[in-house]
Amino acid sequence: MIRTMRFLDLLAMSVNNLRRRKLRTALTVLGVVIGVASVVVMVSLGLGLNGLMLDMYASYGSMTAITVYSNGFYDASGSGTEPQYLTDEVVDQFERLGHVTSVSPVLSTNVILKQGAYEASCSVRGVSREYMEQIPLGEGSLPEPGSDELQFIYGNNVITWFSNGRRGSSYGDTGELPDVDYMNRPMFVIFDTNAYYSSQYPSADGEQSKPPKKYLIPTAGVVEGTVDDYNNYSYSVYADIELLKTQLKLIYKKDPIPGQPTNQKGKPYPYFIYNSVMVFVDDMDNVTTVQKQISDMGFQASSQMEWIEQSQQTYDIIQLVLGGIGAVSLFVAAIGIANTMMMSIYERTKEIGIIKVLGCDLGTIRNMFLLESGFIGFMGGVMGLVISYIISFVMNNFLGIGQVLMGVAGDISRIPLWLSAAAVVFAIFVGMAAGFFPSLRAMHLSALSAIRNE
Amino acid sequence: MAEEAQNLEKKRIPMIQVKNLYKIYRVGDTKVHALDGVDFTIYKGEFCAIVGPSGSGKSTLLNMLAGLEKPTKGEIVIDRVHIEHMTENQLVGFRRERVGFIFQSYNLLKTLNAVENVALPLSFRGVPKKKRNAVAKKYLKLVGLEKQQDHMANAMSGGQQQRVGIARALAVNPKIIFADEPTGNLDSKTTMDILRLMQKIVREQNQTLIMVTHDNYLASFADRQFHIVDGKITKIEELHHGEYGAKQEEDR
Repeated sequence: MIRTMRFLDLLAMSVNNLRRRKLRTALTVLGVVIGVASVVVMVSLGLGLNGLMLDMYASYGSMTAITVYSNGFYDASGSGTEPQYLTDEVVDQFERLGHVTSVSPVLSTNVILKQGAYEASCSVRGVSREYMEQIPLGEGSLPEPGSDELQFIYGNNVITWFSNGRRGSSYGDTGELPDVDYMNRPMFVIFDTNAYYSSQYPSADGEQSKPPKKYLIPTAGVVEGTVDDYNNYSYSVYADIELLKTQLKLIYKKDPIPGQPTNQKGKPYPYFIYNSVMVFVDDMDNVTTVQKQISDMGFQASSQMEWIEQSQQTYDIIQLVLGGIGAVSLFVAAIGIANTMMMSIYERTKEIGIIKVLGCDLGTIRNMFLLESGFIGFMGGVMGLVISYIISFVMNNFLGIGQVLMGVAGDISRIPLWLSAAAVVFAIFVGMAAGFFPSLRAMHLSALSAIRNE
Repeated sequence: MAEEAQNLEKKRIPMIQVKNLYKIYRVGDTKVHALDGVDFTIYKGEFCAIVGPSGSGKSTLLNMLAGLEKPTKGEIVIDRVHIEHMTENQLVGFRRERVGFIFQSYNLLKTLNAVENVALPLSFRGVPKKKRNAVAKKYLKLVGLEKQQDHMANAMSGGQQQRVGIARALAVNPKIIFADEPTGNLDSKTTMDILRLMQKIVREQNQTLIMVTHDNYLASFADRQFHIVDGKITKIEELHHGEYGAKQEEDR
């Protein structure tokens, strides 16, 4: 039968021993506090920088999106082979790739927007419902799903393209925001821009063509942000791709749709060919793999991941350097713990001898000292963490370092939950590691010489 | 008479058997025989004294019986268990389960009070706090320290500390109690108190007590005295004092 000391008794004994030497314990803990705080703050800065970088890229557009272009779309030279166009069939292929959550074809067509005296020429991008759901709206809302009425979503910067037809002044010239209201006043849209221009500017033979039909297209919403803010959706007008296709077919009937390529005989294809396709991937980590697969299929694929990966490598190094600087002070703290434990063992040599003679298990003696040093680590870890949070809070809220360093508003110091947990666990580990050899020494002290009368 | 003694011996249970025990230290090129072939048996319930001048090897013998030192040669059987080949941790376990210790310099933990000191060896056995404190209080009462049970160890007189030491040795209900010059640091009056207390408790609790001393008079409190000189047992004296213990002392 092996009967050994209960853990709670052991813990009480260790804590009592620490309490006996309050000042020394406090100083040793202080070392750990500084060590842990410096590691946590440094790592949190690294995480913050990385996070700011990602925020920055995120503002340029979705980080899990891959934009796919056809190699042949703009290659009108007709080099002989049939170009690989982005068709519904290709979209289906993309959808079947692993890690792909959704695929949105993008069909662009040029239109002229008219409201009152203002008009603008811009391109409408027909996109899927999933794509539209990612657009952050400042005003209005997405069209009802299943609605068969074509509605537009305007980018927050589209307004700058309007110019006053009568005065010929534009936002770029005057800096005066055009008096255009998407939501409350009707917006007329001309799809057949060629016909419109030929009606506006009669050809030399004086024959004036009939102006094309204007359509009243309701506005579903406007992308969030003011005219000075920029995001990925700022300069485009969006519409549901299926409804846009229907609309185009309605307008052009059998005629070739402008912008759509023709085959080698100059005839349009009987199906729509998309300008680009957006492929959405489930996770940032899988973007590169999927992108590679798409390129291997013969398309041009690009994503923000290429840039992010490069930046991330840089930030990994920064992270390592910062963490290393913090680790040095934690290492010094570990030496402090080891020193304290050695001192403690010298002082308590007799005591250790007595408990050994009285039958305290060798493992228990070792554990007692490990617990003591682990407890120093634990206290230092918790207090260091509290201080880290305070430093982090001050840096994020009062110093505005993020703004200065990255030009992006956001937290420069980020302490995620895993970092807090890891810091405390690591502090305990460092404490125990520092106390390991001293505790072995305590365990192997000769009981006889320890209790020998002086 | 001799037959009677033999019969008595047969009925008694051997607690410690030492056979041909040697301890040889090597000091430079010379060998020092601290123990030079020692044989004896101690029975349950006996109060034995190991008597000898300093350097006779008596402390070495005690240390080996308690498993604090390893013999060079020979056998030590305690409570039917051989301890001479045990590892250090086994020896610690052996002491935890079977041995109580009374030291010359008391060796109480200064940071603990009387109850905690007595309860300490029980905590090594994993006895819950409530239970071990109750046991500790019981034994403190037995040694007459009821009122001082919450005093810190270093706030007590030598005699009181040694009483706590005795209570600590008894609290684990050991098979054997070892006492190494238990009165060496006490004045003569307290020495008598402590010795009588030990004698009384051994009788009442039927404990086996082995006391090391250099003082023949103190040894006379024991049932048997092992005289040891230069690592050899020279004489084993048996004293049947019983109630006469006190009388003998007065005679002196």
